[in-house]
Amino acid sequence: MFSFLFTVALSAQVTEKPVTFEDIKRSPNADWLTYAGDYQGTRHSPLARITPANAGNLAPKWTFHMETSRKLETVPIVYGGVMYVTNSNEIHALDARSGRRIWTYRDDQSEVSRVNRGAAILGNRVFFVTGDCYLVALDRRTGALLWQKKYADTKKGYFATVAPFVVKDRVIVGVGGGDTGNRGFIAAMSASTGEELWRLYTIPGRGEPGAETWTDRLIDWGGAATWLSGTYDPDLNLIYWTTGNPWPDFYGGDRKGTNLYACAVIAVDPDTGKMKWYFQFTPHDTHDWDGQGWPVLIDTAVNGKARKALLHANRNGFFYVLDRVTGEYLRATPFVDKLDWAKGIDSKGVPVLVPGKDPTPTGNKACPSVRGASNWMSPSYNPATGLFYVVTLEQCDVYVSSAKEPVPMQNFAGGGGEQIPTEPGKFYLRALDPKTGKRVWDYPMTGPATMWAGTVSTAGGVVFFGDDDNHLVAVDAKTGRHLWHYNMGQPVFASPVTYEVDGKQYVTIASQTDVFTFGLHEAMQSVPVVIH
Amino acid sequence: MYRKVLPFLVAVLAAAQQPRSDEPGNPVAGDPGAIESGRKTYVGSCAGCHGATGEGGRGPNLRDGRLIRRSSDAQMFRTIQKGIAGTEMPGTNLPDTRIWELVAFVRGLGSPAAFVMHPGDAAKGAEVFAKNGCGACHSIGGQGGTLGPDLSTIGGLRSYEYLREAIVKPGDRVAAGFQKIVAKTKDGRVIEGVVKNYSNYEVQMVDRTGKLYLFRTPELADVKIAVETWMPQDYGKRIGRDEMTDLLAYLSRLSSRPVKLGGGR
Repeated sequence: MFSFLFTVALSAQVTEKPVTFEDIKRSPNADWLTYAGDYQGTRHSPLARITPANAGNLAPKWTFHMETSRKLETVPIVYGGVMYVTNSNEIHALDARSGRRIWTYRDDQSEVSRVNRGAAILGNRVFFVTGDCYLVALDRRTGALLWQKKYADTKKGYFATVAPFVVKDRVIVGVGGGDTGNRGFIAAMSASTGEELWRLYTIPGRGEPGAETWTDRLIDWGGAATWLSGTYDPDLNLIYWTTGNPWPDFYGGDRKGTNLYACAVIAVDPDTGKMKWYFQFTPHDTHDWDGQGWPVLIDTAVNGKARKALLHANRNGFFYVLDRVTGEYLRATPFVDKLDWAKGIDSKGVPVLVPGKDPTPTGNKACPSVRGASNWMSPSYNPATGLFYVVTLEQCDVYVSSAKEPVPMQNFAGGGGEQIPTEPGKFYLRALDPKTGKRVWDYPMTGPATMWAGTVSTAGGVVFFGDDDNHLVAVDAKTGRHLWHYNMGQPVFASPVTYEVDGKQYVTIASQTDVFTFGLHEAMQSVPVVIH
Repeated sequence: MYRKVLPFLVAVLAAAQQPRSDEPGNPVAGDPGAIESGRKTYVGSCAGCHGATGEGGRGPNLRDGRLIRRSSDAQMFRTIQKGIAGTEMPGTNLPDTRIWELVAFVRGLGSPAAFVMHPGDAAKGAEVFAKNGCGACHSIGGQGGTLGPDLSTIGGLRSYEYLREAIVKPGDRVAAGFQKIVAKTKDGRVIEGVVKNYSNYEVQMVDRTGKLYLFRTPELADVKIAVETWMPQDYGKRIGRDEMTDLLAYLSRLSSRPVKLGGGR
């Protein structure tokens, strides 16, 4: 009994050990140290206490209410029993076992209020971005401000929602604003001082390679935003970052050409910021099918040959497999049925277009919808099942274009996409086999087709995902069989994570205004009240 | 670096008042020079009833209450000019400009200190901060202790008067997360620090050296949480008047966004 108490008392102190780059390479384990958990973006946890056999016993453990939230898109990170969750211009540290707040940092002076997708951690610092593009470094134990660095100007069309991405000794950030005109970039800042180490624009400058894919008029404002965090291959020392749509989104007449590097994935050396290769999914996009979805890095056989592969389920409806060493296109297969803008992808990775699918002033039906066949909601990959789990939307839209003068930062997107009232969309959790590109199972969801929730995979053989109808759901990773669900009473726009404290596995997801955490049910022990 | 100062300041002050569209706004709203002139007029003509810092007395509190937040600038102007019949609030013959200056000053009483011009030398205030050992408990930009609130952006968060009172009367208003705690574990350790959060079931605390502890209460033999801080109560006596002014000038300038003050209208 004494030794038990002694052990518990010792564990009450949160570790003083700073988070290292090596720790992040080993994540996820008990901790969840990056937006995706792991550098490879698989969102697959080795935790296995929750299994198909016991998932039916999952129960809510705690709820943290975010008083100021209108729409949480945060993905928590967890280190040493402390969870960090963000909202617009604020971050909270929570006791990961109880959900009790430890500290809050809030910047009411930020000029811009936007959603926020999460934090990053290195050393004793926790990082997040404010809506007006300051990268903020805080002491992870106290929330004290260590430094902050402005990295983009809101007067040039930028705002920030990205979960910062730590590689080695640096923090990499991106920008939003590509729907109203700006010039996307990613930048690396020193984790210790905030000094900018490099910046890579996702639209080439005049005279640079790729500039010929733009007309002069919009090259300074063509978008290609970078608001989703990246993935990283430590062996190749390359980060992979996906880019947003060209601007104006739905009218391409003023930006003739393929519009590099919009709707693409770029491979970048994190030491220098140099681009090693790029692959553009949707050249000259006019449907807002931006490329911002996870580039998931796995080693697998593709077409019978072992590959260091990059998986990506794109908004345009194709599931791509690339060679992540070279960027070579390997395969693309449709992962939705509602796909009519291209007959397929040719041997070089270029879409074979179906004529007459561009937006028009009076409206033109095309599939997938503007929300995409999938989007930035996180997929996951389980090496044991060999399956890739992706949230999928079957929907078509009517796309409208407008050739109005494209004035940057005036809320002009060149048109839009509208849902067809008689053809409501439907979400599925879909398991794909990266070896073949084929679908293995589907889990259909009910709901209004408005969610943005993603998935997490576990070695216990359970996939968790937020559905389109306010639930967190657990299914069997092999078969897609329902195991458990919980109604949170609010829509979900974020992806779940899983972690372990004191030998107990937890699953957390942010709903619209709250952070919910679940674990296996155990009878509660009576607690003697000691605070009087 | 200081590009957005005045528009932002005006926006902050204007957000509180929401004037009717047919009413004139304050032509000197947010103007630091006008606010300083207003302060001088206030000290001579208003402080007797409303308190030296707007804290109230014979007249109402002008700093924290709804009275100010819910009044438009034009309403405040009329109140100052005409007085309030049936009360001790008199009217005045001051020229319009000086009344507008008063309105601007009173409006600033509840604004974060960074947005209002204050007297004192901020550089000397930094020396006062260092000399008095404030950094032992308070951090600024990552330097300092953890027993008191981080002050890195405090001027953008708190009003000048809040800061002054927090120094001279720290026990009056203990910042959340900084109450004094002494926790005794069942294995006999005694840990002193500040309590970040607590319930009957968990205690989250930081000890005097900055270590973070997350206790389940069954791990604790005893917990004492006091509605007081570790901050000495006598800084009001230890720090002279001019030094206090400089210290407040220094703290007032600590802001999460650049703020430029000074100059004419």
